[in-house]
Amino acid sequence: MAANNKSNNESATTEKTAAPILIQIGIYATILFISWLISEFFVKTFPKFPLPTPVIGLVLLYLALTFKIVKVEWVDSFGGFMISLIGFLFVPSGVQLAGTLGILQNEGWKLIIVIILSTIVLLVVVAYTTRLFIWMRVHLFHRDADVDSEDQNK
Amino acid sequence: MSVSLLAAAAAPVIKGPLAYFVTPFFGIFLSVAVYLLGQWLFKISKGFFLFQPLFVGMVLGIIVLVIIAKMLGMDTAKFYTMAYKPGGDILFWFLNPATIAFAVPLYKRNDIVKKFWLEILLSLIVGAFVSLFVIYGISKAFGLSNIGIASMLPQAATTAIALPISTAVGGNAAVTAMACILNAVIIYALGGWLVKVFRLNSDPIGTGLGLGTSGHTVGSAFALKLGSAQGSMAAIAVVIISIVIDIVVPIFAALVGLH
Repeated sequence: MAANNKSNNESATTEKTAAPILIQIGIYATILFISWLISEFFVKTFPKFPLPTPVIGLVLLYLALTFKIVKVEWVDSFGGFMISLIGFLFVPSGVQLAGTLGILQNEGWKLIIVIILSTIVLLVVVAYTTRLFIWMRVHLFHRDADVDSEDQNK
Repeated sequence: MSVSLLAAAAAPVIKGPLAYFVTPFFGIFLSVAVYLLGQWLFKISKGFFLFQPLFVGMVLGIIVLVIIAKMLGMDTAKFYTMAYKPGGDILFWFLNPATIAFAVPLYKRNDIVKKFWLEILLSLIVGAFVSLFVIYGISKAFGLSNIGIASMLPQAATTAIALPISTAVGGNAAVTAMACILNAVIIYALGGWLVKVFRLNSDPIGTGLGLGTSGHTVGSAFALKLGSAQGSMAAIAVVIISIVIDIVVPIFAALVGLH
């Protein structure tokens, strides 16, 4: 384990300006803890509008990057690594359904079909609604809608 | 982790073969093993969509738990809670840093956010409303009970927001959790095919917002593979759609008289 950590550190510092991996972890841990505090405060103040820790954390980290409190190279490589693991990290959530197989007995496979259709509906409706608004931007308000394919803040 | 190990040591002694499974090591090992098997199947089948590692991992994981529970003569749900959940929870926790990490791709495409913030906001609000009507219609058409319908409505929000809303509008939180999980698995497995069939490719902003809304964090990871614009839009969708659902679903449920 120790050897593993060491090699991680080395590979992170050899990238041009990336912060050492433990510093990056430190930034994530700090933001998560602050977000948890805000989330707890929110739950107590507005019990009807829950705001989960990761959602607050995403906004906080985004604001910290936008207002240059945190430099992108301090959070980039660890973040990229975590995102690359998301499929795997989601396995426990999927397996969790083993604990609730019983609910399928009530409304059976109808639920599954409705969920599959709902997923497609959400994807397609939101995508086409966006297309409509961008069409309006171009044709009614005569503003351009070009999207650069390159990263701006790299 | 050490806390849960201590807690396990302090718990009453479990006798028989079950004792070998009541440890976080089991859940973590099983999760990695089934996911790696999924990756291998995906590779040798040259990318057959049903062999997406997440989907294979989920199905195989459940099958293994059902089989071991049968062999031990236990209820699957109970075996899941005692044996798999301790390890599963440790891995699950890492979705927290993984989710906030999406701030980075979002920040990298701040040019799109600054240029299109109004379109993004309007699309997500209007899109959420239209989707709610369609999902309500589909649920009715399939003859779901009011509990079932109420459980379907909040699924576009991230799980931690969807569950309390589901309960608030008279749904079953476990069914909503299943919906949120399957959303992600479906987008991960079928996303590429859906993008092609519905010709979404030409418009990176709409594709990204759609993938983030329908597939949540997993959908965002998928969108990021399509491109930086898609990934950043999916990340912003996860946040904004959750807040929109937070506010809109209770109003919608009252409107259609669900509770």
